[in-house]
Amino acid sequence: MTRPVQTSRRPLGRLALPLGLAAALGVVALARAATPPATGPGPAADQEGTPAAGESTLTVTFQGIKTPSGAVMASLSSSPEAYAGKAPPTAQATAAVTGAAVTVTFAGLAPGTYALRAFHDLDGDGRLNTNPFGVPTEPYAFSNNARGGFGPAKWEAAAFTIRAGENRQTIDID
Amino acid sequence: MNRRHLLNSLTGLAMGALVTPEIAQAAGQMAAGSAQGLDWSLAFADLDADAPPTPMQRTSGTCPQGLAGSLYRNGPGRFRRPGGSATHWFDGDGLMRAFRIRGGEASLTARFVDTAKRRADSAAQAVVTPGFGTAPGPGAVIGTNDDVNAANISVLPMGEDLWALWEAGSPTVMSAGDLSTRGVKTLRPDLAHMPFLAHPRAEPDGDIWSLGVLGDRAVVWRLGRDGTLLSAEVIDLPCASYVHDFSATERRLVIVLQPMIQDHPGLPYIDGFAWKPKEPTRILVIDKADLGSRRIYELPAFFAFHFGSAWAERDGTIRFDACVSEDASFATRGARELLKGVWTPAPPPALALITLSPGGQARLERSPVVGEFPRNDPALSGWPRTLTIHATADNGGPLFHGLATHNWRTGQSDAFDFGPAHMVEETVFTPRPGGAGELDGWLLAPSVNLAARATELHVFDARHVADGPLCTWRAPLALPVSLHGAFVAA
Repeated sequence: MTRPVQTSRRPLGRLALPLGLAAALGVVALARAATPPATGPGPAADQEGTPAAGESTLTVTFQGIKTPSGAVMASLSSSPEAYAGKAPPTAQATAAVTGAAVTVTFAGLAPGTYALRAFHDLDGDGRLNTNPFGVPTEPYAFSNNARGGFGPAKWEAAAFTIRAGENRQTIDID
Repeated sequence: MNRRHLLNSLTGLAMGALVTPEIAQAAGQMAAGSAQGLDWSLAFADLDADAPPTPMQRTSGTCPQGLAGSLYRNGPGRFRRPGGSATHWFDGDGLMRAFRIRGGEASLTARFVDTAKRRADSAAQAVVTPGFGTAPGPGAVIGTNDDVNAANISVLPMGEDLWALWEAGSPTVMSAGDLSTRGVKTLRPDLAHMPFLAHPRAEPDGDIWSLGVLGDRAVVWRLGRDGTLLSAEVIDLPCASYVHDFSATERRLVIVLQPMIQDHPGLPYIDGFAWKPKEPTRILVIDKADLGSRRIYELPAFFAFHFGSAWAERDGTIRFDACVSEDASFATRGARELLKGVWTPAPPPALALITLSPGGQARLERSPVVGEFPRNDPALSGWPRTLTIHATADNGGPLFHGLATHNWRTGQSDAFDFGPAHMVEETVFTPRPGGAGELDGWLLAPSVNLAARATELHVFDARHVADGPLCTWRAPLALPVSLHGAFVAA
């Protein structure tokens, strides 16, 4: 009947959530969607192994990092479904954190509309850790610095346009 | 129908639609109160900014020899902003008060807890952060539950710090010295943002127990007296009740699960619950030494925010007191209407004694005494005792204008009624230096004096409440009424 507390990653399979913790529903979805397999920084391929087609690049600078350890893991999607974790993302990237800011670059992108979600993997276990009630215990962020209201930022708030050539985003994390 | 007739008809219709029974009643009460120069909405007014330390004027009596220290009290202190306001009493910004008694005189200071919620609402110039009974506004930013943590219910002194407690998020640490906010307390990194109730139970000279509830699960916190985390275990609950408080004996936790059941997602928080009077109030009793060892008792439905500390008798019978209401309407409606200056009279909570027998039977005995905010001599928490301190006396308006101690052995109440000009807050006990026995010491009872439009602090001999205050100090300002406090002797 009792369980010792351990870092939990199981989704909240519950309908009713207390104040504030309703965020957990959306945020656990975030945990699933934003938890990519560890890949090296820089150009990335999607989970199906299909190279992203195009010549555009996106450089994302994560700033405001308070704990200079672990890695930032980022997931780039070109559809609301992929952003919500219901389809594979376009690309994913991981960058080791050694200071207050870190940069990741996505290359070979087709121009279009994208959204990005990321988290700071403080302990380097490749997962967005949550407390036993499913609330993230590691920092996370979205493109456009969009913020969620009880859950991840909406696609509409996080979506941005990648044009031909070089593109940049600066995101506050932590 | 000519134009004038039409306009008159429309005006009459509009007036008829606008003047609800509640508004008519409130208008009547306010008119009656105004006739006496009393306006209870003063107790729910905003404090616009921190109140710097200010001497209080002693208006009667003398400070008892040996009484010195700080009474810290927390409670919502600001509700309204230009672009939108809190719609529930429990959703004002946490305001920490410190009544400091030194050298026979007193001072008062108050400082808002610097929460993420307060910063967000301040920047938006509107209460956009959702709460217990307030819906989210446009642009609400919520990453975790601590982003909506109002830190506004109670205070747990912890050495040089104070923990400002809410119930669905982390404690917020403040300096006991200048009431500055240090930040959210993470008891262990993997437990960040776990809820921590506003009513921890401290064993006399022992550990501190608390809960944090999510639906039908709870984390059971066990802390040392210095705030060190000793253990945290997640347990299953038999139902997803609204839990504000719990009780404990020396060896067991007593968790009352009333049929205010969270059965659908909803914001604000309390809107996700439904009152189910056909379901029982369940009482879960758990061994502190083995949280898997449990027993469930059942009583007919009742609602209670607060409980007294429990005790076990030699045969295993457990007793504890509760301040019981017929339903949850104060949480869902009454405390919302307060901020509109409206009060719909409702039966006040009654002081009751709950008995859990070793055979599995449960019994609830309602006393005829009006009672809320129960407290006891902290030296006897978890141990057999006879006395409960509580707020009492109502005149059909909100809250209470008296205080009392109730003797469970004799049924006698030792009460003092300030009359309708005072809204009396929760009373806290502090022992007399060198005193012995239950409630040998003083009661510290603040009130909002509606006639003088001032916050007052009254000191009573805890064994002679009906004799009236030994000493009263008055501040040159009125702070909104607070919820819960703790005294730290000098």
